[in-house]
Amino acid sequence: MKVKLMTLRTGPLVLLVALMVLLSSCSGREDGGGGDDEGDGAIQTDVGVTEEPCPDAVNEDHGCIYLGTLSDLTIGPFAALAVPITDAQEAFWNKVNEEGGIGDAYDVNVTEFVEDNEYNPEIQVQKYQQIQGDILALAQTLGTPPTLATLEFYKEDDVVGTPASWWSGWEFEDNILESGTNYCFESMNAIDYAIDEFDVTSVLAVGYPGDYGGDAAAGAEIAATETGLDFLGAVETAPNAVAGSQEAAIQAVLEAQPDLVIITTGPAEMAEIIGGVAARDFEGRFIGTSPTWNKGVLESPAAPAIEALYLQSSPWEPFGAETEGHEAMREALGDIDPNDGYTSGWVWSYPLKAVLEAAYENGDLTRAGVVSAATELETVDYEGMLPEGAGSFSGDPNDTVFREIVITEPDESAPSGVTTIEEFFVGPTAEGFEFTEPCQSAE
Amino acid sequence: MRGRPSLYTSYEQDSSLLNTPVKRFWVGALLATLVVAPFRLSPDLTLLLATAFIVSIGAIGLNIVTGYAGQVSLGHAFFIGIGAYTAAVLNGEPSTTSDVLGYGLDMWIWLPAAGLMAALAGLIVSPLAFRLRGLYLAIVTLGLVFIGEHIFREAEVVTGGVGVGRRAAEPELFGFSFADPGTVLGVPLARDQGLYFMALVVLVVMALLARNLARSSVGRAFAAVRDRDIAAEVMGVSLRKHKLMAFTISSFYAGIAGGLLYTITRFLEPSSFGLLLSVQFIAMVLIGGVATISGSILGAAFVTLLPRAIEEAPRFAPFISASASGGFLTTQQLEQILYGVLIVVFLIFEPRGLFGLWVRVRNYFKAWPFSY
Repeated sequence: MKVKLMTLRTGPLVLLVALMVLLSSCSGREDGGGGDDEGDGAIQTDVGVTEEPCPDAVNEDHGCIYLGTLSDLTIGPFAALAVPITDAQEAFWNKVNEEGGIGDAYDVNVTEFVEDNEYNPEIQVQKYQQIQGDILALAQTLGTPPTLATLEFYKEDDVVGTPASWWSGWEFEDNILESGTNYCFESMNAIDYAIDEFDVTSVLAVGYPGDYGGDAAAGAEIAATETGLDFLGAVETAPNAVAGSQEAAIQAVLEAQPDLVIITTGPAEMAEIIGGVAARDFEGRFIGTSPTWNKGVLESPAAPAIEALYLQSSPWEPFGAETEGHEAMREALGDIDPNDGYTSGWVWSYPLKAVLEAAYENGDLTRAGVVSAATELETVDYEGMLPEGAGSFSGDPNDTVFREIVITEPDESAPSGVTTIEEFFVGPTAEGFEFTEPCQSAE
Repeated sequence: MRGRPSLYTSYEQDSSLLNTPVKRFWVGALLATLVVAPFRLSPDLTLLLATAFIVSIGAIGLNIVTGYAGQVSLGHAFFIGIGAYTAAVLNGEPSTTSDVLGYGLDMWIWLPAAGLMAALAGLIVSPLAFRLRGLYLAIVTLGLVFIGEHIFREAEVVTGGVGVGRRAAEPELFGFSFADPGTVLGVPLARDQGLYFMALVVLVVMALLARNLARSSVGRAFAAVRDRDIAAEVMGVSLRKHKLMAFTISSFYAGIAGGLLYTITRFLEPSSFGLLLSVQFIAMVLIGGVATISGSILGAAFVTLLPRAIEEAPRFAPFISASASGGFLTTQQLEQILYGVLIVVFLIFEPRGLFGLWVRVRNYFKAWPFSY
């Protein structure tokens, strides 16, 4: 009887069971994350921090902190800025490592986990999940809509990120280490400035959908209402990769005939819009938020129109400015083609460095430790790139938010194509604004 | 009739799913391997396989209408999108502050609903196929993709709008989350493993249903419509009924795939449902094998895993650059070129696709040691 059991029918079954046992007996999985719980001395670590040195480490005897980067590196509308931002951050952290790293114990690596988000929230979330298990924090998370899309995941995972974006909502988020003022205050100040400088009675906002263009439009609307200007509405346009062309926005500007346009797009789209309206004898002024500028537009056919009509509001001074931080940046970058992407990437990196140092001082380089260090941070040394008072992350946003901007104008001889014409200032609207929630358009 | 597996004594035997012991054995072995695989593979590969399974469901759907019933459809991305958004809306957080719709419903509602909404859309557009066939139908369904893309972009309460997007559905069934399974039957599972098993089970069920459909009278009627519609009608096969069925069933599969697919990415943006997605599905069907279920799965797995394989390419061919900006060829460009090249190569040299290659290998060993 026993022999009969081993027929052809049961044979495969036995084999199957054997196969399963064999396969399941050993597991090829590591337990996620790259770190281990015991650190050097009393430093606690978990994800994204190793005792082994970084690949190509500056200090071979240091451990390694891995920071991720989610940026717009190829086909997105901000690639011309995002690539320099990313390069500047690499230079920044390289300098940090050369000066002894974090607490003379850890080097920082920002090159292992660089991903391209294409300025698309879906791709951003996907790429974030790919690198999430290997990084302590994010050296860069570019774009307001992509970062908003991933924000809930940052919170779930206790990941702190440096935004390449100036949305007014970041001030209210513990996981986001923003620098400089936001689009909302930037537009308010821009309008206050325009009222002082030119004859302005009406304002139109033109920008990308979502909270990048929306935030600037909201600021513009608030300032227009405060100062009694005629707010002609917010025109939504999209990157050329999506919209094809800016013809609709051009038509909208021509129809509205505003004295001032607050523009929040990418550089190529801005050039197309200004070139387009100027060709049809539009003479109103444009003030763009900082991501709208790239000096490449001065080589476009729209250059004369831009020089005549465009001013730029900016949360900090351009590449060529004379501060300690600017000089350190220029020295670290060496021989490159200047661009304000570099400036921004450099400025944005200071708070994260301060946070990592504070977390190290607290003996807690775990993710949770970094988040709590970020919420307690009171000052950041920007080496003069931002005035004192910028860089407080604890306390009431209405008190800690930084409200000052600079105004620059196109200037072919300047390294990044713009020079400062108005140093750090805050206009009456932004000064008096009660900042209790992210700016939202009334529409 | 042991020992003579090819001798059938009844129709039932001839058309049974696993008609030879060898097949039975290997299907069992394959399933066993698939059950064990997520415990052996790294989390990101496990997620990639889960994605491949879900995409397979969509590819099976396209193969039903295009492969079996012969109605070329370039509109598959539209139905995938409908499924994804139905799931996202039904499952989304009901909130008064957010601008996007959400009803917070469970997976047992949103998953079938994703399929049914897409099926409804398929039902509505199927009359197009009554009047048109071949190239003309392809062009018309192409229009569907563009209409769909426009709707997805503009319907901001549903999709969040272009460049903004919204959260996708969370796979929570009766309080059990596949994305956070915890310990099941004494085995601790991670997120990727939970999603993997969810995808695997749904794929096996959907693939079995499709296979059964294909070998039933409906499947034979589809083939008749595909091979010669006039002859089919002469035989009493209703063209309308079967074209309508093909579109509806195909869209149902697309809807299910769409709903599930984004439980992995967790976020969806309207521009994802463009022509490229449709073309990728066509590529899956052509590369995998027209009018085969296992071919659809092979094709879907191939197309899903291809980008990952290409990421490794710079190690072997230094002129290919992994970074987005440098080198003679970037991995991204290589990937797009390969889609095109593979479609051309398969159509010319192996029109039966990967499934055809598999049949060749199988026949070689069947006849071994003789060459034919």
